[in-house]
Parts: sequence; C-alpha cells; structure tokens
Amino acid sequence: MQKEVIKEKSMVLQKEMLAKLFKDLSQAHETGKKVVYTFVPGNLSELIHAFDMLPVYPEINALQSGMRKKSGDFIRDAEKAGHLEDVCTYVKCDIGMMLNGNIGPTGEKLPPPDLLLLSYTGCFTFMKWFENLERYYPGVPIAMLHTPYQEGGKITKEMRDYMVEQLKQEVIPKMEMVSGKKFDESKLAGILENSARAEDLIVKIFETTKNKPSPIDAYFAGVYYIGPINTGFRGRPEAVTYYETLYEEIQERVRLGLGPITPEGEMEEERFRLVVEGPPNWTSFREFWKLFYDMGAVVVASTYTKVGGVYDYGFRHDPKRPLESLAEYCMNCYTNLNLPQRIDLLEKYITEFQADGFLVNSIKSCNSFSAGQLLMMRQLEERLGIPVGFIESDLVDPRYFSYSNIKNRLDSFFQMLGQRKIIRGQMEMEAVV
Amino acid sequence: MTDQFYTMGVDVGGSYVKAVLVDYSDHPQIIDKHTEKIRKRNPADVAEELVNYILQQNGLRYEDIAYLASTGEGEMVNRKKGHFYSMTTHSKGGEFLCPGAKTVVDMGALYVRAIKIGERARVLDYKMTGQCASGSGQFIENISRYLGLSIEEVGDVSLQSGNPEVPSGICAVLAETDVINMVSRGITTPDIIKGIHLSVGGRIIKLLSALKAESPVMLAGGLAANKGMVQAIGELLKESKYGYEIVTHPDAIYSGAIGAALWGGYRHVKLSKEKMALA
Repeated sequence: MQKEVIKEKSMVLQKEMLAKLFKDLSQAHETGKKVVYTFVPGNLSELIHAFDMLPVYPEINALQSGMRKKSGDFIRDAEKAGHLEDVCTYVKCDIGMMLNGNIGPTGEKLPPPDLLLLSYTGCFTFMKWFENLERYYPGVPIAMLHTPYQEGGKITKEMRDYMVEQLKQEVIPKMEMVSGKKFDESKLAGILENSARAEDLIVKIFETTKNKPSPIDAYFAGVYYIGPINTGFRGRPEAVTYYETLYEEIQERVRLGLGPITPEGEMEEERFRLVVEGPPNWTSFREFWKLFYDMGAVVVASTYTKVGGVYDYGFRHDPKRPLESLAEYCMNCYTNLNLPQRIDLLEKYITEFQADGFLVNSIKSCNSFSAGQLLMMRQLEERLGIPVGFIESDLVDPRYFSYSNIKNRLDSFFQMLGQRKIIRGQMEMEAVV
Repeated sequence: MTDQFYTMGVDVGGSYVKAVLVDYSDHPQIIDKHTEKIRKRNPADVAEELVNYILQQNGLRYEDIAYLASTGEGEMVNRKKGHFYSMTTHSKGGEFLCPGAKTVVDMGALYVRAIKIGERARVLDYKMTGQCASGSGQFIENISRYLGLSIEEVGDVSLQSGNPEVPSGICAVLAETDVINMVSRGITTPDIIKGIHLSVGGRIIKLLSALKAESPVMLAGGLAANKGMVQAIGELLKESKYGYEIVTHPDAIYSGAIGAALWGGYRHVKLSKEKMALA
C-alpha cells in the first residue's frame, strides 16, 4: 500500500494557486479574460500578465495528464489522427486531449485560445505543434517570437536587438489587439520586480542541496518547486509568497539536518548524491522516484528544473530593462544553450554540489533534450572521472516505460557508485539486504 | 588464518538459477555447483529447491552453512543471510576463476555488462548494453527457438558455420525479421546462428572499447557457456584493431554465484570478528 504523502504548507499553497488558475481558465469565457496558449521554455508570463490575460501551457497539461494516467489514451487518439510514434509525446497528449473535449488536468474544460504565442526556445517541435494548433483553432492570431540559439555560446547585442524588435513589432501589437489594452511598460516593470524576487528565491532554494544531507531532491521534488514559476505565476505576488514559504520550510530542514521528503516518507540516509540530465518520466513518476529512494539516492541538481529558465549565472528579469531582459531570459533557457555550455553547467553542478555520479534519462521523442546527451556524458566522465549512467524512458507515453530495464540499469549504476565509495574508504563492503 | 567453513552462493539470473557450495578458507574451494532453468516458475522456489538439492547431495544441513549469499535477482531467495550486488559478485567470481583478469564480461539473459576490476576484484568502472534486447542472451535463445534449436545446442551449431550471415545489430525486432528473411532465402541454420553470435559479439566488443578495457578479459555469465559465442568474440577481435586477450573457464556460468559465496565468506569472517570483539 502506498504511504500517504506528507503535505507541507508550500504544497498546499501551490495546489491552491493551480486550482485557482484552472478555475479562472474554465470561467474565462464568462469573465471576458483572454487566453494565451504558449510554452514553458522562453515563456513571456510577465507580458501576458501585463495585458491581464491568462496563460495555458500545453506541456504542463500533458505532464499532468501523464501523472493522472490519462496520457496513454490521448496519445493513441492522436496517433489515430495521423501523428507518428516518433513524434514528441507532449504534442500527441495535448492533441489527444483536444480531440477529447480539451478537459484539463483538474477536470474542468480549458477555454480555446484567443492568441497562440509561439516563443519557441531550443525546440523546433514547438513550431510544428503550433502549426497543428492553428489548424484546430482556425482564425486565432499567432504571434511568433523567434529566439536565436546560443550557437556561439553567448548572447550578442545583435541577438538581443533582434528579439526586442520582434517583441515591439510582432508580439506586443498582437497582444494589444487581442486584449484590447495598450501596452504599459511601467506595469510590466512592476511585474518583473516580482519575477526577480521569485528568481532570487528559487536560486537559494536549489542551492540548499549543497548541504549534507541535502534537504530536498532537486529533480523529483524540484519539478514541483518549479511549478509556480513555470505555470504562469512568475511575476505575480503569489509566486513570491510561495517561494518565501518554501524557502523557510527548507531552511528549517537544513537546521534540523533532515533529508528530502519523498512520497515514501522522509529519506533517512543519503547514500548517493546525483546530478540528473533530461526530463523525468511522468507516467510512472512515483515508481521512478522510488527506485532512487530505495537506494538512498538524492538528486542534488538537475537540468530539467532549468528548462523554464537558467538563473544560476545571475540572470534576473530587470524592471529597468524590461524588454531586453525578457529577450535575455528566453535566450538563456537551458535547451537554448549550446552543448559546451550545457556541459559546463553540468560540470559546475557536479563539482559544486559534490555529486557522486551523473545520470541521463534520455527521452527519444524529446529532441531538444536528447540530442548530444551521449557526448555530454562522455565529456563529463572524462573531465571528472565520475560514474555515469544512462537510462531511457519517455515523457508521457506509458508504453515506453520499462520498469525492469530501468531498474537493471539503475542497479548497475548504483553498484558502481557504491564501489567507488568502498575504494575511497567511505563505505564498507557489505550485504545490501 | 581464516577458519574453514561452508558458504553458499545463489545467483538468480533472467533465465537460470545458479548455486555453488564453497569450502571457505584462505584458499577457498568449490565443493559443488548446479544450475536450473527457471521455466516460468517462481525464481524463489527454484532457488530454494537448488539450495536443498546441494545440501542433500553433500550430506549437509542448512545450519552447516555459515553464510548463504544471494546475488542477481536473488533478493527474494529465502534463508539468505545477505544479498550482494551482481557487479561485485561477478568480479569476485571472475577473478577467482581466472586470476589476474582485469576485465570481467557478465553475459546474461537480459543484458551484457563489461566490468573493469582492480585489486581484490574491486569494481573500477563498467559499461552495459542499451535497452534493446539485441545485446542479450535472451535474444539468442529466442532466435534459437524460432529455428527449432534448444539453447544447449546453439554453441555447437554455430561452430559448424562456413559462411555466416549477420543480421541487424541495432534492433532485436529488425534482427528477427532479418532471420525470417534468411530462412526464406535458404541460408543454413549454422550460418544464421553464427551470424547472430557475431552480431551480439560485435556489441560486446563495442562495450569493451567504450570501457577502455584491459586484458585479460574474462568472459563470464550464462553466455560464456556457449562455445559459439566465445569463438565469435575471438574471431571478431582477430579482425579488429583491439588486441584484447580473452580468457574463460568451464565454470564461468557460476561466476556470480561463486562471487556471492566468497563475499559471503568475507562477511562471515568480519561479522564473527565483530561479535568476538563485543563479547
């Protein structure tokens, strides 16, 4: 029997925030609120709020459907409608959900979009996704913001200017047209102040994993922590309150020397510290997490929690440079970084967070993440000489989650981590059961 | 000097359960060994039967065994004193059978894993085949069944090949389709079987190269009992740029079980010393 999950105040807060968002969305037609469909990486939440519109994130709906065991049927329906097996399963889940009445994760109907805001960042599939949405919602205006890839490993003035120009010429005019409101830069600046505060807090939260034991799991719990900042609350006071509450709770755990809270209970012994690259599997999320919990493995840093923004190097939304900082934010998202930048970021995590090993969860249908993962793994192995592991699963297609295959590979990986500790004299050779 | 006592190691694999009885001392000796195919039975029951059989054959009772250790999928083995990870047991068992081995390749039903070992059989690094079944012993068994052969026959049949036909080495399903096509083209069974061995062997050599393996490389696990597999790896290495020295042992299938029995002995000695110190 599954144990009851311990609910902390921050968890309750987040649940209430999301419930309200979905309630507002379900009533958008009556309240006259305009709805913007957009994506998490490179999202322009602040700009959407500046026009008093509501955001819908199809990837969030897809992952929520995955966790609620509904994605399998949605994907099958999308495949029946002609989408191939290799297509991103977030896309197919979203399309399947639409084909089944667009009932959102809370059971309430999602409103159709008034604007399709395509700010695709490091993922070409997003463009194809919205080409499909355009067909399902004919006549809905589309605003496209092209984010230049950081091919040269840095953001140049030309790249920033190019994006600001698009915001001025393409995105803002479409938002004005849809919302019927004039763009107010001072209102946006006020919202961005809240963004920067939330970003400061989230950096502090993820840095608490430098403690031993780590008070949180930066992957499995981390995906919950990034929930508010990635679901349209960035820039809103509720997000600041949420992150303040969460940070306080985590600091208390650090003070008491406690390990992470997991669905199986509190992790009592931290045996291994890991850095994980790649998205998690959502359809068997709890089972997947338990495989780590059973081994005393804690994830101290992950790249998936940076998919909606990398704040580690000091970037913050800046009220004094509103449009420029929105542009820089988009270009700084994890999947918009080139491979050497990603490897450097991972090396920083492994070193600074004193990780024992590096693990890749590769999702074949997610090109923006999986391209280059083997190279990243090899480079990190060479640079740092740490054990590396590679497992394969999927985002929300339950057919691609093979428990035994993943367990076999994780077992070997954990055995290797254990052996390294024995060699270093940090552990004794002992029976495990 | 270590006292003499008995230990047992039980290795529950994806296809077979292997068990050994060891006379443990400073110079451990294998007293008895047996394997049993699982054949859709509960592996825990098969392991229990095997333990009882070995005890009976050697006139021993369970109480005479100082430490019964499990490995592989053997967490569920009843009456075990401890469970050891299979990488550590295969390394220990591999080094016991082939002293001086620097790499042990555990070739099992579900996957193949190449393990680089150091002093006292410590695991230094490893690489294992990907998720696809085309790099596993079960794949060879499936193809053999399709061709009407038992797994015990495939090694000898493979050795009869004169002109092997290699299927896709990327995907087990593609390889099975290739085999169906080969049968319809009249390719002989030995040539198909040898081709399958070469395909799996190619993946094993890739693993060794990714691991930057050192020689001697000891082939262990269930597939090591397959003469065709060992020969295919040898032939591929001759044609390759890698100069690995391959070694194996008639008891290589027991490497995991032997390793478990030896680690069990090590633990027993340690626990006894701790107990004495407390007394």
